[in-house]
Amino acid sequence: MEAAAFPWWIWPLALFAVTFLLGIVAVLAGVGGGVLFVPIVGGFFPFHLDFVRGAGLLLALSGALSAGPALLRGGLASLRLAMPLAVVGSITSIGGALLGLALPTSFVQTALGATILAIAALMWRSKKSEHPDGVRPDALGEALHMHGVYHDPASGRDVEWRVHRTAAGFFAFAGIGVLAGMFGLGAGWANVPVFNLLMGVPLKLSVGTSGFLLSVIDTSAAWIYVNRGAVLPIIVAPSIIGVMLGAKIGARLLRVAPAATVRRIVIVLLLLAGARALLKGLGWWN
Amino acid sequence: MNDPQVYARWLDWGTRLSLAVLVAAFLAYVFGLTPAALPLAEMPRFWRLPLERYLALSGSPTGWGWLAMLDKGEYQNLVGVALLGLVTVACYLRVLPGLLARRERLQAAIVAAQVLVLLLAASGLLAGGH
Repeated sequence: MEAAAFPWWIWPLALFAVTFLLGIVAVLAGVGGGVLFVPIVGGFFPFHLDFVRGAGLLLALSGALSAGPALLRGGLASLRLAMPLAVVGSITSIGGALLGLALPTSFVQTALGATILAIAALMWRSKKSEHPDGVRPDALGEALHMHGVYHDPASGRDVEWRVHRTAAGFFAFAGIGVLAGMFGLGAGWANVPVFNLLMGVPLKLSVGTSGFLLSVIDTSAAWIYVNRGAVLPIIVAPSIIGVMLGAKIGARLLRVAPAATVRRIVIVLLLLAGARALLKGLGWWN
Repeated sequence: MNDPQVYARWLDWGTRLSLAVLVAAFLAYVFGLTPAALPLAEMPRFWRLPLERYLALSGSPTGWGWLAMLDKGEYQNLVGVALLGLVTVACYLRVLPGLLARRERLQAAIVAAQVLVLLLAASGLLAGGH
């Protein structure tokens, strides 16, 4: 049935319902809402991808800003680690947003599908290191004071951390900024592996700092979408409200939900949404 | 109070305020308490269009042009969106004096550079909209 056959209010209501569920699933699976929102809403709702990407960025931004205070107060996000990398990531996210709005929709849709499928593969295969061993601090990381101590409430001990491969980290976050701006995805799925596996940051600090970094990178890109007129409140507001309420429920379910199962469900959702975006971009499934 | 604690306090209140404004403006808009520039029933014709075509057909403003249309419901929502986009700038500016006072010049330069990047993005100069 054609989307136009439904009254207008069905779509924001459906958007609220879907983003509410995404908010629950995203918290349980430990991913940001944006990475699920853009391919799913872009693939199965009648909104143009330009508006979906703008909404996706604001959705990811709202979540990151809301989570930030608790992470900073708990010492699980490091300003010193995030701030230098955020400058690079936010500059490239502006470039990504401009590029995404300039390229043909079919190209962006196809690239989005390929990226989402790659993220699903990354989530499936990725390893994690709670406390990376053999970190040999480099001169750049030391010059930028990228080191410190955080208190791990789970183990009850203070954990000292330093970074290595700092220059490679800058390059990685430059690339992440482009993808975040171009596709409106947020970037937690990429931030955590770069911090943890590439730069040797302990996992909990990686997750916390990723949220903080995302709030800066996404802010820059979001402004491009706002200034270009690509932010429709009828899409943005119900999505933000839905995902924030869902995230609160998700946080309550966190202790009882089977995390591994939820993570598998998210990977399947990403595969479906990524395939849909890819086929839509190629004109094989419109 | 150290930098992360100060940052967290400003971030907390800034985000709460922004989201409260956004939710209030959206409810007023969607329940017809404020007049809309584009009737809600017409939105399905517009939200499926590519951005450039939507702007041409709807006459919607770019850049900060929406500030001149704050009597319309959809543009009141953008106040909340803009506040969300300015929270990080406010937090960075709040921690900058402390860094300068402690003569942490490199960190202060990084914070200042970030503020410039964010303000440049917010200005509309890069997006070509006014």
